[in-house]
Amino acid sequence: MKTQKIGAWIAVLFGASYFIIPLIATFEFSLRMRRGEYSFDAYRSVFSDVQFRESFSYSIVMAILTIVFGILLVVPTAYWVRLRLPQMRPFVEFITLMPLVIPAIVIVFGYLRLYNSSSFIPFTGSARGTDLLLMFSFMTLSLPYMYRSVDTAMRTIDVATLTEAAQSLGASWPTIMFKCIFPNVMSGVLSGAFITFAIVIGEFTMPSLLNRPAFGPYLQLIGANRAYEPPALAIIAFAITWASMALLQLVSRFSKSAPSKP
Amino acid sequence: MSAKQAIDLKKTAIDWLGILPFLLFAVMFLIAPTLYLVTGAFLNPAGEFTFDNISGLFTDKILASYWISIRVSLASSLGGAFIGFFLAWAVVLGGLPSWIRSSLLTFSGVASNFAGVPLAFAFLATLGRTGLVTLLLRDWFGINLYATGFNLLSFIGLTITYMYFQIPLMVLIITPALDGLKKEWREAAEILGATNTQYWLKVALPILFPSILGTTLLLFANSFGAIATAYSLTGSTFNIVPIQLYAQIRGDVLHNPNLGYALALGMIVITGISNLIYIWLRMRAERWQK
Amino acid sequence: MSFLELAGIQKSFGPVQVVHDFDMTIEKGEFVSFLGPSGCGKTTVLRMIAGFETPSGGTIKINGKNQESLKPNQRNIGMVFQAYALFPNMTVHDNVAFGLKIAGMNKAAVDARVKEMLGLIHLGHLADRFPYQMSGGQQQRVALARALAPKPQVLLLDEPLSALDAKIRVSLREEIRMIQQQLGITTVFVTHDQEEALSISDRIVVMNSGRADQIGTPFDIYNKPATRFVASFVGTLNLIEATVVDPASNRISIGDQAITLREPLGPVKAGDTVSLALRPEAGSIAESAKGDTALTGQVVSSNFLGSVIRTRMKVGDPVISFDMFNAPGLSPPAVGDVVTLRFTASDLLIIRE
Ligand SMILES: Nc1ncnc2c1ncn2[C@@H]1O[C@H](COP(=O)(O)OP(=O)(O)OP(=O)(O)O)[C@@H](O)[C@H]1O
Ligand SMILES: [Mg+2]
Repeated sequence: MKTQKIGAWIAVLFGASYFIIPLIATFEFSLRMRRGEYSFDAYRSVFSDVQFRESFSYSIVMAILTIVFGILLVVPTAYWVRLRLPQMRPFVEFITLMPLVIPAIVIVFGYLRLYNSSSFIPFTGSARGTDLLLMFSFMTLSLPYMYRSVDTAMRTIDVATLTEAAQSLGASWPTIMFKCIFPNVMSGVLSGAFITFAIVIGEFTMPSLLNRPAFGPYLQLIGANRAYEPPALAIIAFAITWASMALLQLVSRFSKSAPSKP
Repeated sequence: MSAKQAIDLKKTAIDWLGILPFLLFAVMFLIAPTLYLVTGAFLNPAGEFTFDNISGLFTDKILASYWISIRVSLASSLGGAFIGFFLAWAVVLGGLPSWIRSSLLTFSGVASNFAGVPLAFAFLATLGRTGLVTLLLRDWFGINLYATGFNLLSFIGLTITYMYFQIPLMVLIITPALDGLKKEWREAAEILGATNTQYWLKVALPILFPSILGTTLLLFANSFGAIATAYSLTGSTFNIVPIQLYAQIRGDVLHNPNLGYALALGMIVITGISNLIYIWLRMRAERWQK
Repeated sequence: MSFLELAGIQKSFGPVQVVHDFDMTIEKGEFVSFLGPSGCGKTTVLRMIAGFETPSGGTIKINGKNQESLKPNQRNIGMVFQAYALFPNMTVHDNVAFGLKIAGMNKAAVDARVKEMLGLIHLGHLADRFPYQMSGGQQQRVALARALAPKPQVLLLDEPLSALDAKIRVSLREEIRMIQQQLGITTVFVTHDQEEALSISDRIVVMNSGRADQIGTPFDIYNKPATRFVASFVGTLNLIEATVVDPASNRISIGDQAITLREPLGPVKAGDTVSLALRPEAGSIAESAKGDTALTGQVVSSNFLGSVIRTRMKVGDPVISFDMFNAPGLSPPAVGDVVTLRFTASDLLIIRE
């Protein structure tokens, strides 16, 4: 019993150092820009960089679009599969898990060959088209997380009964979808949204290979050319991830303590 | 009779119409691109069937890059699984105060998503040539880390970096499994004469085994496909497969587009195999699970 | 000398004391039940015997040996848990064999013993099943076989039947009792079901908030409850408030009907209130019924419970229940009927606590 507790403390202390030391080191490094003293110059430099602001806003817009279209794709599908096509569930689940099996770089490689300017769907022929393709590729990346959170939320409500109740009151399909289903799976939708946000903001491979000015490639570029800005950016990125996850926790805790009314 | 059939048909059609957008999305953005690469791996530039691309993978350089990728992924997934398991064990069964458990889980949620380029920056600032830990080791303990042969831009450096997201991922997945160990199993084993070690070897670990190995395989696939961290840590000097493929996509460094498809196919096969083993393990575990 | 001795056992969790001065001796081969409401400390006492909890005071001896310094895995005790605690990754055979293998028995001997144990619980044909492939009752029988396989000195059962449905519960408790008698194993059985305890025990310990209120044979516990708690917890009981009419001649009145008690009333004076207990099965309203005492009242309800009909009648203020056995020709009393209940005065117990 005693030795067990000591072992547990050792494990936790080791884990804590593994997680925290790099953060401290990164923060310390980011303050070293001015010679001989600590300063926030690196942060100032980052925030005053036009490219930072542009790439960051680009990624945020992409994240929002990805979330919106992801929700529009996933919620009706998950709903429909539960309601009408339960026999298709293993298949749909398999598809949604594919992005975890096939590396992102392989998927985007396929896009580049399939949707280049000379193909019959020339996504990459124009900047807007590429943006669209990038959004779809982000949707693909976040599909496993989005589908899982929504489907889990849907398991806790009785989709069939809810639908029948709404139909007996004369509700139309769009009304059922937006007035009944969406509000009830909001916690799942939000969890999925925050994870998607964290993924999209940091993603490097896809925008880099599609040549779009997103935050990930910008980070890589700065990393290759500057010394003190990268750690400052790492701290900022960590803060963003932390905020997304904190919101996620908040949402899941909130929805657990206060189940929404049908 | 035929009217009923027609209604049934119509109902079925509507049922399928409901997931049509999803199917379309899956075909366009998951299935077709993958199939394109897979078939491309067996075609020559003229569009004829060939095994040349596959045999083209068996050159020293490409084999070496697969080998280093597999080694990094294996090491970081095994290390991550091992350490992550002990951390989860410590917070679930180690009798620690409960705030430690919730902090660890919250932190793991964040750290498992903290990957890619910023992670590379963080480790450069920690264990790079002028990183804080490197400097402190030199100034406080007189250890010159880089003189010992350590290099962040190497197998060991990449493994340590990857473990920063592998450990938390393991913690997140294995904690519920440890929670699922019933107190009664331990007590039943104990009252039947088993020691703590015997309980772990004969009861707890066999019960946990599918989850542990399954998660390890997931971690393996996770790091095998990762590129951003390695790329910004080492540039294109460190030849893991994803970096090799990245260079091929950007500039056809292999001078053979179809060889690039074969490279991608190789990646799919490896992550696919690790997932097949995972599924097989799950089914085996279901022999005694509901 | 008794086989299992508990002397002055105390147990506190932090500031809360949950077991007080628990004394009890159990003979070899005896079947003792701990009976009491939820939270009264039955499990805690059992777990102290097993070694999972350390007593805050007192001693536990098995076969004359103090158990204090022994860990659970050194005590040679068999235990069956409330939730089926079978190892889910092992077949029935391997579950039963677990303790034997730990003890270092060779394979042939293990197989023989497992076969014998599975025969005892009539599950030899399911040896290769996994726990999830079996019903709760079957799992609990395997748990029993697993606990008994290493020939423990004492068998502890913590509400082993409470998760099962009523029919299985009855048949399994009889099976447990039969096996126990066959093997002659000293057994402690925890339950909060009084019928269970009454039907299979040699002796019963009725527990009330951490104390043993009464220890006795099922017959004594039921018919001579020592405390009001025991009286009300075991069986159904009429608790009747009566007024003392004349202490000298043991005259009291229930709803203005005066009757004479057999038992001395003790130090009370006329006009005092006393509590009396009467089992519903003690009296009868049949014309032919014998009894030296009678009370007349008006029927307020009559419930058919299967083998008996339970009728409640109002005698002034107090309401008294009585049972009559069901018979096809019987016409049960109707609400509003006036009936006379006859019984023997000695069945009316005075409750003093
Ligand atoms: N580990 C513990 N820590 C603190 N209090 C405990 C602990 N175990 C039991 N208790 C308390 O001790 C009291 C007796 O518990 P015990 O489990 O022995 O009751 P029980 O008679 O077995 O009840 P039940 O019929 O519900 O199983 C309860 O009030 C319980 O809350
Ligand atoms: Mg209990």
